[in-house]
Amino acid sequence: MSLYLPLLLSAVFGVTAPLLAHRLPPQIATWMLSIGGLFAAAGSSVTLGLLAFDALAQDPRLAARFGWSEGVLRAHHPVDVEAGAVAAAAVALFAVRFLIVGARRAGSVRQAHRLAAALSAGGGELSVIPSADRRAFAVPGRPGRIAVTTGMLRSLDGSQRRALLAHERSHLLHHHHLHHTAVHLAASVNPLLRALPSASALATERWADEDAASVARRDTVAEALTRAATGGHPAVGGVVLAAAAADVADRVDALRAPPPRLALWRIGVSAMLLLAIAAAVAVAMHDTERLFELAQDAYRAGHR
Amino acid sequence: MTIRRAKGGLESEVLAALWAADGPLTPGDVVQAVDDDLAYTTVQTILVRLHAKGAVIREQVGRAFAYTPVLDDAGLTADRMQALLDRGADHVAVLQQFVRTLSREDETALAELLARQQGQGRS
Repeated sequence: MSLYLPLLLSAVFGVTAPLLAHRLPPQIATWMLSIGGLFAAAGSSVTLGLLAFDALAQDPRLAARFGWSEGVLRAHHPVDVEAGAVAAAAVALFAVRFLIVGARRAGSVRQAHRLAAALSAGGGELSVIPSADRRAFAVPGRPGRIAVTTGMLRSLDGSQRRALLAHERSHLLHHHHLHHTAVHLAASVNPLLRALPSASALATERWADEDAASVARRDTVAEALTRAATGGHPAVGGVVLAAAAADVADRVDALRAPPPRLALWRIGVSAMLLLAIAAAVAVAMHDTERLFELAQDAYRAGHR
Repeated sequence: MTIRRAKGGLESEVLAALWAADGPLTPGDVVQAVDDDLAYTTVQTILVRLHAKGAVIREQVGRAFAYTPVLDDAGLTADRMQALLDRGADHVAVLQQFVRTLSREDETALAELLARQQGQGRS
């Protein structure tokens, strides 16, 4: 049964981590989602891999080839061949998804680096786009760049512009795009983790908002956010996201509240969850190893 | 404050203030526009540096120079990048926007959400 534990724990993590992240200081939430997501993804992948492997190993030809007793495997093993076949199919599917997501993200990072390099030809950290739209974004690179439209700059006052620049700078300084990549990869190999990317996106925005709040008043940052999100032109290309308004409201709400404080028990819960997943993977691997040792011993002793 | 003192941070703020203005700004105007406890000489130094880089042009106004930002290649490159962003959310997935511009419906939803939160007495 220990074999299923990492799978179960990744499901628990997939559900609880986004809720916890909401209540943790954003820096800690971001790291918790990234590390926990990778752990949970690794755990569930190992479980699926072991399930598939164990089922395959019960095939008489393979058993004879590698010298283990299929009888012992079958007797000690909770996995039936059908479950193994399903696991093998899942492993193959997730491996393909992992490669696709990985390649796409890598391409995206390369493209951003090229753009950042093109921007830095101009010299400064900030590039201004002549446009009435209200847009601002960070371009990761070596070094990263900040791009802001004139429309955005004109809609803000001095301290709000300072907050905006600090926000974008925070994304670059803390490499938030790598955190996003981590959770996207985790979700690609485990559908139970599909809520992590949006949770990570919100956590990194809140992180950047907190950094902005270190150079401007909290309500100044909130005001800059609200102005940037509204009063501009209607969204381009009809992109309507119901989540967009909720996320802005969440961030404004967080800025209206006092700065987030470290709640030790919440960090404790997150750490326990991570440890449990890591331990479950270790136990599952150890059990499998023991089983195969038994099966090999039995094979040598002549019990087929 | 590490964020603040990042290399070129102040320079960006000065440049941003120049772009936000309706006309040329003198160092004194910039000090006001940046809205921070900045020394006049600090701003002047930055403006001279920006001028040397070709990021701004200047004209004599009375006893001081007044500065205007210049649109450079970087701005045009950034413009192309924005076009990429418009083409689809996933096109350059790693670009991080300050905030997504909301549609009219989303704006209404945001106003409602904020009103509700304030109604709950959170402050």
